[in-house]
Amino acid sequence: MSATSTPFGLIAEFDKPADAMHAAEKIRDAGFTRWDVHTPFPVHGMDAAMGIKNSPVGYFTFLGGLTGYTSGMIMIWWMNAFDYTLAVGGKPMFSPFFAFPVSYELTILFASFATLFGMFTLNRLPRLHHPLLKNRRFTSGASHDKFIVVVETGDPKFSETETRKLLEIAGSQHIEMVEE
Amino acid sequence: MNLHAKFSRTARWLAAVAGLLLLGAVSPAMASEAAAHTKPSLVQQFGYSYLTAFMFFLSLGLGAMFLVLLHHLFDAMWSVPIRRFVEHLSCLLFPTLLIMFIPILALAPQLFPWMNLDPHHDHALHVKQALFNKNAFYIVSISLFFIWGWLAHGLRRHSLAQDKTGAAAHTVAMRRYAAGGIFIFAFSLTLAAIYWMKSLQHQFFSTMYGVVYFAGSVWMTLGTVYVITIWLRNKGPLRDVVKPRTFHDIGVLFFAFTVFYAYIHFSQYFLIWNAAVPEETFWYVLREQGSWKQVGFLIIFGHFVLPFLALLRIDAKMNTGFVTILAAWAWLMHYMDMQYNIMPVAYPDGVHISIFDPVCLAVIGGVLYWRFKADFFKHPPYPQKDPRIAETMGVYVPSAAAPNAGHGGAH
Repeated sequence: MSATSTPFGLIAEFDKPADAMHAAEKIRDAGFTRWDVHTPFPVHGMDAAMGIKNSPVGYFTFLGGLTGYTSGMIMIWWMNAFDYTLAVGGKPMFSPFFAFPVSYELTILFASFATLFGMFTLNRLPRLHHPLLKNRRFTSGASHDKFIVVVETGDPKFSETETRKLLEIAGSQHIEMVEE
Repeated sequence: MNLHAKFSRTARWLAAVAGLLLLGAVSPAMASEAAAHTKPSLVQQFGYSYLTAFMFFLSLGLGAMFLVLLHHLFDAMWSVPIRRFVEHLSCLLFPTLLIMFIPILALAPQLFPWMNLDPHHDHALHVKQALFNKNAFYIVSISLFFIWGWLAHGLRRHSLAQDKTGAAAHTVAMRRYAAGGIFIFAFSLTLAAIYWMKSLQHQFFSTMYGVVYFAGSVWMTLGTVYVITIWLRNKGPLRDVVKPRTFHDIGVLFFAFTVFYAYIHFSQYFLIWNAAVPEETFWYVLREQGSWKQVGFLIIFGHFVLPFLALLRIDAKMNTGFVTILAAWAWLMHYMDMQYNIMPVAYPDGVHISIFDPVCLAVIGGVLYWRFKADFFKHPPYPQKDPRIAETMGVYVPSAAAPNAGHGGAH
């Protein structure tokens, strides 16, 4: 480990979900943008306490679905009615009716791929390592019985003393700085 | 937060698009009206309009019954606040809708052409004679209402009894009703759709027919339930129990049935189109004549595409003003769907809106509203002692059992 490590952020440990939720409300109201709460299980109401808006992943899904539908229609039109016309069962060379089931499948396929990769993109995944995973207290707590609020140093509102004070007022028993 | 402003803007756009769609459907109708040939008699005109209005409102009763069954089958929590008034809606099936059915029973020989055919001269009728004979028609038709009455009133009786006692035994009894009831519901609804709508063209085959009617019915019911919920919350009776998640969940189901209807109706159309067997295609061929074709397009775009796109976003599903407009639109679309199923038999060359249509709608709708209101004010507005009522209101009640009593003691 190099001696000149840069700080990543402050982690503050809480024993109860309600405490972590109230801390989240304080941080939300203070206007922080680069922070997160890690809990061993989903805490109801945390989204609102953190001020998290509806995820933009839906736009990826919609565009993926639209792409899938269009490519299905174009593909079938291209293959059956343009590139190599083939009369089947006295049906028209192209009709949206017979092209629909395949286009519909492609809508779902592309929409789900777009959802998955959109989520990856928005979360900046995959990544090989995250500074928090180096911290023993974090790894053993957040997946077991502690509720951990993390405020990153990259946040424009971050100040080591002020933010630490804010987390102390919120009632955290243990606050420490995690390094990159 | 100008979310509201955003949606009222969207709503205006939606209204404009809807208006255009409607204009597209109705204006050729006016034109083709002049070219009408064999006009149905005045009694028939009234009969078909009445049948259309009846099937429209029957959807509400059956859709409501489905929601009640669904609630008990899934031990749902979200639908506890709305369950009571939905029970009232389902109880409209008996006796109110049975009484409203009398004109159809009386006019049946004039409305259903197969009743006047000799099965020995009509092969399609001959092979379907087990169902399509007058005795079966009258006996089954009337029995259906008694079956629905038994189911809907049985469920409501237990629900009301639980208001007084709070006994969990009623919940268990309602689950038993629901477990058997869902099968009875499916078969009886299919019979109703076949007898009262599909048999207008008795040669037709479609195993999807009942499901299409079911999907449209529940869709229209969910829109209605959403609006009634807003109304009862604003007026007060449901203020304590209706939460944003109530609208979230009705909205999500409303959206789901928008898709489900399209999926089922497309499946029916697609199989018939692909197989191209005259015994099936004639049904849709008739519905491509004159302005019926535009109504078909109205159903594709108005019944599916427009509400689908409008309801995609979760905040749209939860915006009460926005969904109210869509629910009104759903009524119109479902009514046009009923027209599409029934009226081409009377008016093969295009849409024909007569004075009987709004009158029949108003009469049946008025009677149902009157009965619903009477029922609603006679009983508590929501299930008072449902085991999940506290949970619905957002109150956490610890289990009465001792903490170590159950679940193998793994703590």
